[in-house]
Amino acid sequence: MSDENPSYEVAREELIEVVRTLEAGGTTLEESLALWERGEKLAKICQTWLDGARERLDAAVAEED
Amino acid sequence: MPTLRDATQEAPAPVRAVANAVSQWIEQLGGVWVEGQLAQISRRPGINTVFMTLRDTVADISVPLTCQRTLFDSLNPPLVEGASVVVHARPSFYANRGTFSLYARQISMVGLGELLARIERRRQLLAAEGLFAPELKRDLPFLPGRVGLITAPNSAAERDVLENARRRWPGVEFEVAYAAMQGTRSAAEVMEALDRLDRNPAVDVIVIARGGGSVEDLLPFSDEAMIRAVHKVTTPVVSAIGHEPDSPLLDLVADIRASTPTDAAKLIVPDMAEEVRGVLWARDRVRQVVGQMVAREQTRLDDLRARPVMRDPRTILDVRSDEVTELRERARRHLSHRLDRAADDIGHQRARAQSLSPLATLQRGYAVVQDDSGQVVTTVGSITAKQKLSIRVVDGRINTTVSNIEEGDPDE
Repeated sequence: MSDENPSYEVAREELIEVVRTLEAGGTTLEESLALWERGEKLAKICQTWLDGARERLDAAVAEED
Repeated sequence: MPTLRDATQEAPAPVRAVANAVSQWIEQLGGVWVEGQLAQISRRPGINTVFMTLRDTVADISVPLTCQRTLFDSLNPPLVEGASVVVHARPSFYANRGTFSLYARQISMVGLGELLARIERRRQLLAAEGLFAPELKRDLPFLPGRVGLITAPNSAAERDVLENARRRWPGVEFEVAYAAMQGTRSAAEVMEALDRLDRNPAVDVIVIARGGGSVEDLLPFSDEAMIRAVHKVTTPVVSAIGHEPDSPLLDLVADIRASTPTDAAKLIVPDMAEEVRGVLWARDRVRQVVGQMVAREQTRLDDLRARPVMRDPRTILDVRSDEVTELRERARRHLSHRLDRAADDIGHQRARAQSLSPLATLQRGYAVVQDDSGQVVTTVGSITAKQKLSIRVVDGRINTTVSNIEEGDPDE
């Protein structure tokens, strides 16, 4: 959690874990909210990675054409 | 007409008669197989007959030899002066000039077999020495820095190699070392060029190129000294001698054998167009794979985000909200129940208290006596005369003073 620039895979794995924990229940409300916020953040990180990859790919293709 | 035998000084025979007679007699000889050496060849343009001189290999005897130009031109390898030949010829007499010649119908070179046998013996010896071992063969560089080319100046072979190599890879660099590619000086010159190119560190591959030719022409490329020289060089060598069927020993000792100079060009440099196609294909494939990967990950991420807990975090609260509501309901129900029960209990207790209260006793006429400190008086011993007492009856109190005291049961 201390790493705020995790790789895509690390972020995705943690996101899966967060969702799984939330779905399993058994956490306090405070914990649930913290998990959900963490999940939102991780999803954003993943999306940023994917957007960046797509952008670079498009840029490379556009450069050639 | 009289026969020649009848001719006399007085009645001589004419030249034509003699010539014809000689001609007839010679023609009767028919075909004969002859072996000799070609001393002279005269092939003049526009004349259908080629004139040659066939010399005996031992005695100093020569006879003219003629043949059709088509026969002469069809020979491969072509006839050269000094070649040993076996001829199937018909002795003939050319009456117009009174010349005798052998008219050849078939000409074949001898010594060729002998020559090939010598090369074959050399091949076996060098092979036994291990000069042609497959494990000695080096791979050509994929893209040579500079190509060393040994060939004859302005030859078709030079043009074939340069043009075809440049067509395939326009940036190819050549270091051309010219050498005689046939004749007695050829082997020495090729070896010298080879040595020069081998010592040049910029040269990554050496091509020895020459067009096709007769076995004799290609003889230098089976020369033992040259074969050993090629064996020794450290730079990979491509042999590009002659056409497909020609196979001088150089082909065996070279790292790669090209069937023609054009083929050598294909071997030494890659085809740029093909390479570019390959690179483009690979790039497209890589992009496709990366694109698919991103799309796949996007789907996974979308799935995760679409899960109720992530998409609508209120569900987290809803569950708890429901729980709180239910608990509150339960708490309320419970409390209400408790209150009801408490009320009942109070009723009971009150009834009990009432039943235990002295009020009823008082109603029946009893009274309670208390001294001025509120102490209930139960015995006469605890009071004195003139003491103030308070008498509790059912509907109030009576304050009084003790007048006298009597011990014992008043009823007795």
